[in-house]
Amino acid sequence: MANLKDIRKRIGTIESIKQVTRAMKLVAAAKLRRAQANMEQARPYAGRINGILNHLLPDIDRTSLPLLSMRPAKQKAFVVLTSDRGLCGSFNTNILKQARTIIDAAGKDQAKLICIGRKGYEFFDKRGYNVVEHYADFWNELDFSNATQMARAITDRYLSGEFDDVRVIFNEFKNVAQQEIVEYHYLPLVLEEDEEAVTTDYLFEPSKDDVVQSLVPRHLNIQMWRFLLESNAAEQAARMTSMEAATENAGDLIDSLRLEYNKARQAAITTEILEVVSGAEALVE
Amino acid sequence: MAAQFHLEIITPTKVYDEGEVDYLRAPGVDGAFGVMAGHTDSIMALTVGEIKVVKGSVETTYAATKGYAEITADGVQLLVESAEPGADIDLARAQAAYDRAKQNLAQKQDEMIDELRALRALERSMNRLKVGEKK
Repeated sequence: MANLKDIRKRIGTIESIKQVTRAMKLVAAAKLRRAQANMEQARPYAGRINGILNHLLPDIDRTSLPLLSMRPAKQKAFVVLTSDRGLCGSFNTNILKQARTIIDAAGKDQAKLICIGRKGYEFFDKRGYNVVEHYADFWNELDFSNATQMARAITDRYLSGEFDDVRVIFNEFKNVAQQEIVEYHYLPLVLEEDEEAVTTDYLFEPSKDDVVQSLVPRHLNIQMWRFLLESNAAEQAARMTSMEAATENAGDLIDSLRLEYNKARQAAITTEILEVVSGAEALVE
Repeated sequence: MAAQFHLEIITPTKVYDEGEVDYLRAPGVDGAFGVMAGHTDSIMALTVGEIKVVKGSVETTYAATKGYAEITADGVQLLVESAEPGADIDLARAQAAYDRAKQNLAQKQDEMIDELRALRALERSMNRLKVGEKK
């Protein structure tokens, strides 16, 4: 049986780990709240842009706009969103595993990667994938300009012919306990032509084509913003749940160590009494 | 008092609900235009500029970047990537951004894309200065 001092030391260590994980859980919970508020704020804008675009697309000659026209997808690009930091359960592991499967199916050597978040970059870079661009260290001060910057970098490469097809792989925030990995066809733009189109007859200024032309980049910006927000919320939720589990486990561990400690102490006392008693008995005889 | 219409300024990070207003002036791609109640349903592309809202005797201004105005019988929705109320603009920061953009532009050398970016930044910072100084 481990001696008393060792057990006491272990209890102390685990106690302080528990404090750290509990603090991380609280921080993640606060960040999650902010991330959810951000998502809430972005919804009306995204919804309206989508609405206008859906309304316009049926009348537009897709071939006139490079961002809309389909071309043979020779050069595929994948954008993978992960976090910068770990300690968020299987958040990164899951998405990296799935992204890798998708990318390998498309051909590891042909695929170009854009990694958003440090974990993804480290993972793919180490394994010899062709990472053409990566972003890190922005999650804490997530801002809409991050999204526009990334969206612009991707569209520029697409327009220059470096990519023919861009997919975004990210964690979608379902609820606090659940994330879902989603693969989204970012470019060329495909829109589900659902819903009976709104029937309002609009006057367009300067012209319908001009409006669409500048609408598409706006749409891509807001989409990228949505991916960032979703992934951020999902990350914080994952961190919160896993840190809560860690705190709970630490508590359990402490309980069982305490039990062991008490047993050891009890045993030590018993031995001592035994010694005293047998010593006294020896004197009597 | 003339008829009023409902105005909302919607950005990806915030919605400014102006309520019922009398008059709106927005920076269209082909020049600023005014909107009053009963306007034809339209969608107009907006450029970087100043949005002016008149409600009774109160006038509010925003420094806005690119987006759209969607005008329907129900009211007007301005969808812009950013809008900053004139009263909230930090002039010192705007000035700093302006100086930075100017400097970048002066040093541009051969990079085409960077020049474009610097120009856009310059445009935005000038707009913010303009709107901010008026308050």
